[in-house]
Amino acid sequence: MKKLLVNIQRSGDQQEVFEVEYQPGMTVLDVLERIYQKHDPSIAYRFSCRTGLCTTCMMMINGKPGLSCLKMASPDDGILHLAPLPKGETVKDLVKKM
Amino acid sequence: MKTIKTGILVIGSGAAGLSASVYAAQYTHENILVIDKGAVGKSGSTVGAVQIASLGSWSHQDDHEEAFLQDIEKSGRGLSDPSLTKSIADDIRQRLKEITDWGLKLDKNEEQEVAVYETSGHSFSRSVSARKGKAGLGILQTLIRKANAMNHIDMWSDVITLQLVKSAGRIIGAVVLDQRTNEPYLIQSQAVILATGGIGQLYPITSNPVQSTGDGFSLSLQAGAQLIDMEQIQFYPVSMIAPQSIAGLCISFYHFSKLYNRDGERFMKRYQPDYLENTTRDQLSIAIGKEVAAGRETDHGGVWLDASEVIENVKRQFPHEYDLCKDRGIDLSKQHAEVGPAAHFMMGGVKINSNASSSIPRLFIAGETSGGLHGANRLGNNALSECLVFGARAGIEAARILEEETPVDHQSFADYELGWAKRLLTYIHQPHSSKSIKRRPYVIKEKIQSVLGNYVGVIRTKDGLCKAQQDLKEIQEQLFETRVANPDAYSRDILDFIEASHMLQTSLAIVRSAQMRTESRGAHYHVDYPEQEIDTYHTCIQVENENMKLSKKPVKGV
Repeated sequence: MKKLLVNIQRSGDQQEVFEVEYQPGMTVLDVLERIYQKHDPSIAYRFSCRTGLCTTCMMMINGKPGLSCLKMASPDDGILHLAPLPKGETVKDLVKKM
Repeated sequence: MKTIKTGILVIGSGAAGLSASVYAAQYTHENILVIDKGAVGKSGSTVGAVQIASLGSWSHQDDHEEAFLQDIEKSGRGLSDPSLTKSIADDIRQRLKEITDWGLKLDKNEEQEVAVYETSGHSFSRSVSARKGKAGLGILQTLIRKANAMNHIDMWSDVITLQLVKSAGRIIGAVVLDQRTNEPYLIQSQAVILATGGIGQLYPITSNPVQSTGDGFSLSLQAGAQLIDMEQIQFYPVSMIAPQSIAGLCISFYHFSKLYNRDGERFMKRYQPDYLENTTRDQLSIAIGKEVAAGRETDHGGVWLDASEVIENVKRQFPHEYDLCKDRGIDLSKQHAEVGPAAHFMMGGVKINSNASSSIPRLFIAGETSGGLHGANRLGNNALSECLVFGARAGIEAARILEEETPVDHQSFADYELGWAKRLLTYIHQPHSSKSIKRRPYVIKEKIQSVLGNYVGVIRTKDGLCKAQQDLKEIQEQLFETRVANPDAYSRDILDFIEASHMLQTSLAIVRSAQMRTESRGAHYHVDYPEQEIDTYHTCIQVENENMKLSKKPVKGV
């Protein structure tokens, strides 16, 4: 089973790296769901519709703003970097105040 | 517990909750507080709604209020409440006009007239859209703008409701938890409007957002309100079932596509030779369910969709769906897609009158959380119409009470019955050792989904429903044995725990209602009772002294 390295910028300017079991067809949101369930229950991120409409799951993905439910994760692209959007107040980890 | 005072508390911020707020605000100067457990205006089923059915300047010359309500009642298989069908038919034209006056721009056709589309079951073309097939989003943005412009509407995201507060037989507030701080609040109000949407997340495959965990049904039950026809769950017949990341995505163009079983047979020729795929949602879901049950299903338990012959139409009308499928490796112009029914819409719900008032004074219900309008089958594009019409009615009536009736003096009700909320809060905040208990709240949610998916889906049996009831009872006992692994602020574990408690209560109401309906009607297909009975009745559920009281009530006018 392939592993996916995920670097997340968490609250308090902490960087944390997770090694996640990769399954084909995983979106970035699926990766975060896996981290919440199997690695760290305290990871915080927003989502709702899962189909690219509500935009609540928007975050910085490899340095660019993107919707985590639409962006596919790939173990061949090196480390996946996730961070909250730079603008506005961050509630926790990847969650912005809305 | 800290206390917050407001005139009207609105729980939920989809099209129903926001309509309720902006209409209430036009009739009272008292404060209106809108709360949402997710991001306000972005966390409900409204976001995904494609079109809205309405009368308007685009209506056919023979279309009118009476024709609209007759279509709803015909589709409702005898379970639609005539006072509610009349309300929607009477009001929708005006409500949609107002929202376009506030800035919503309806999509136009090539002649620059409002584009109007056909929808199965509507005898005239009535479906209009905005934002190119994203009518729900357009409506939300318009309502949010309107609400922001009114100084006495406050909006608060990331706040989940634990319990409604009842005193002297009236609803006068709620106990909520601010997820950002983990702080509970007692909100004191003169009226509460519940608009928390539906139940899709009770099932493994759903078109609904992650927040659709049936909170409003559970809150209402606990407050003593009556629920009706909770077995009537609409499954969207044609949704993606693979790949997993878009499982539940609705395919809005199924009525002009072709469906095949694993043997390559266009099976709808057998079930509905006249209408084929262009039939009502209940009939199509049941046909697909029967093909799957007979072993003629695809690898992921569905059927094949072929849209290749109509692909230009698909790209033009539903570009978002086409693009999303293509992005996930399914090019509908040359490939078949694996599709099947997904939990989509709760047609039952809290019983309301034409003012959107529940059976308990000062508790109003709007949108999907209310029951009785759509009966046993909701027609396409009537969900947004319901939200606008009954959101407005709830808001106006709540404001009237605020302005005309003697206000509740919260000081004289010091001894609130907050037992359930306190039990949840105590459990959340007690230390959870990882050694003794491993199971986390999300596992409880998955178990509930598995039970409802297995036994309370499109095709139901007596034995299956009995098993579901037993399993849910066992899962209920496990809830207060879970480990809330993260006790800090913005904890998904805490949210999952509270949602699981709502899901359990709502699931039980669905199963008990399904057991009560010993016939097949609309979306409720019961293998052991495959015929529709002559007598038409509502299944009713109410909690009294912590027990679910079940009853059958004849429908009005029969």
